[in-house]
Amino acid sequence: MTRYVIGRLGGVVVILLAVCLFTYLIFFKLSPDPAVMICGKTCTPERIDSIRTVLGLNQPLLTQFWEFLQGIFAGRDYGTAHCSAPCLGYSFQTNESVWTMLTARLPVSITVAVGAAVLWLLAGVAGGLISAVKQGTWWDRSAMALALTGVSVPNYVLALVLQYVLVVKLQVLPFPSAPAFADNPGLWFESYLMPWTVLAIGYACLYARLTRANVIDTLAENFVRTARAKGLQRSLILRRHALRPALTPITTIFGMDFAGLLGGALITETVFGLNGIGKLAADSIAKNDQPVIMAVTLLAAFFVVIGNVVVDLVYTALDPRVRVTSA
Amino acid sequence: MSEALFVVEDLTVTLPTSRGPVDVVKNVSFTVDRDDTVGIVGESGSGKSMTSLAVLGLLPPGGRTAGSIRLNGEELLGRSEAELRGIRGNAISMVFQDPLSSLNPYYTVGLQIEEGYRAHRGGSRREARKVAIEALERVRIPDPARRIDHYPHQFSGGQRQRIMIAMALCCSPELLIADEPTTALDVTVQAQILTLLAELQAETGTGLIFITHDLAVISSIAQRVLVMCEGDAVEYGTAEQIFSDPQHEYTRALLDAVPRIDDLIEEVAL
Repeated sequence: MTRYVIGRLGGVVVILLAVCLFTYLIFFKLSPDPAVMICGKTCTPERIDSIRTVLGLNQPLLTQFWEFLQGIFAGRDYGTAHCSAPCLGYSFQTNESVWTMLTARLPVSITVAVGAAVLWLLAGVAGGLISAVKQGTWWDRSAMALALTGVSVPNYVLALVLQYVLVVKLQVLPFPSAPAFADNPGLWFESYLMPWTVLAIGYACLYARLTRANVIDTLAENFVRTARAKGLQRSLILRRHALRPALTPITTIFGMDFAGLLGGALITETVFGLNGIGKLAADSIAKNDQPVIMAVTLLAAFFVVIGNVVVDLVYTALDPRVRVTSA
Repeated sequence: MSEALFVVEDLTVTLPTSRGPVDVVKNVSFTVDRDDTVGIVGESGSGKSMTSLAVLGLLPPGGRTAGSIRLNGEELLGRSEAELRGIRGNAISMVFQDPLSSLNPYYTVGLQIEEGYRAHRGGSRREARKVAIEALERVRIPDPARRIDHYPHQFSGGQRQRIMIAMALCCSPELLIADEPTTALDVTVQAQILTLLAELQAETGTGLIFITHDLAVISSIAQRVLVMCEGDAVEYGTAEQIFSDPQHEYTRALLDAVPRIDDLIEEVAL
């Protein structure tokens, strides 16, 4: 098991390095010259040259990449200024340290992701489970019709409609502003309620349909028939024999979805004006702020890759067939 | 004369299909005594498995039954789900065809034996565990005290079927229904399972219904045989009579389908 984990983590390092290299090539080599962009309108060739020297852009590509990596793990120098590790460079637009920008916005994205995940897991799994147990009834049909609608509605539409109705018309919720939890827990909750709901609805509908299908499949399994033939209570059969096999695959999908969201919920954050990683990504792309785009991409890749490993580890804990063969 | 342990009388099972209700079992009657083995033979789709599922009230949704099924003179048809639950795995147990898919891959075999025992007898986990170890020992699983904590995929096919049998017998049922218990196994393992069933039956006096499509298997184990074809009981008699003097054309056809060593010798000689 330990060997398996070490092997997986080794794989993670390789994948992240590859992601680093690709993003570096795409954003620094194939994009417009950063030195020209930083220099602005009133620019002279001498100034561009000096910026190149400070950023290390006059070095060979591999050296540049090596310095970039070094910056992340050991810090690096830009001309006379030192950028301590983890250094992801400075924004071309604001000259802020990219690492500081990320760490300032990450809590917002985590709050959005965690809140939404709790909502969609509860609603999706419970809804799907009830639908599966009451298969074919009016409850099942209406829940599944609703789920199909929910999956189909784009969440920016939902976000705007909710904002208009709840904030502008009925005035029951404040406009989302991402306040700190410690300052005002009530306002914090009210502010995040809409983003959570909007983000959760699409996932909840998807999870409800998945859970329903998985539970129905599992209930048709031979081992469920065996459990019935043993004379077990229906609730025990459902809880013990149907739920665990049905929910194990959901864990995988959940891990991936959640990890993806930690890298920023681009649309939801932008629509609600929440200063999270997603909005940072959208803004930096609009302004072609390469160091920020690069950092946001790396962060998202990091979460997805780590999420993958966590899912695999959780899977070995949940499914004895995987556990015993890997041990 | 008192009634036999288990009596099925004029059993008809109707299942809903897209083309309306279909009788998959029609007016089937047979009896099973203590220490007795009745074989039910027929091709797939002949209604033999539906007969056994009807006994435990485990028909697919929408399935209906008519006639009479009695255990110790008490009618089972028309019982409530709760009453049937008290009978399943307790007075009447069942062993299914494919032991791998019939065991839940997520739980240890111990837990799966214990839960059946506790559903009917209650008691602590420790007590149920003791019973489960004994049950595994009875079906000759080596080192049962250790193996009880293993998962189904860690056992061989034959061992899994032994575990299914242990599970079925842990509440000392009066009647055991074995639905194609050896079909998924290879021939040597088949023979071991058949021997085990016969030994356990001699030990406990359980009535046994053995369902199979394989006449060779039934000839070695059953005292009486019921031949089914498309839901009808086409022939019912002692094993000897069925094998030596089959009355129905379908039975003769089934018997002819069994490869015989003398046929093979003739073929080779030619």
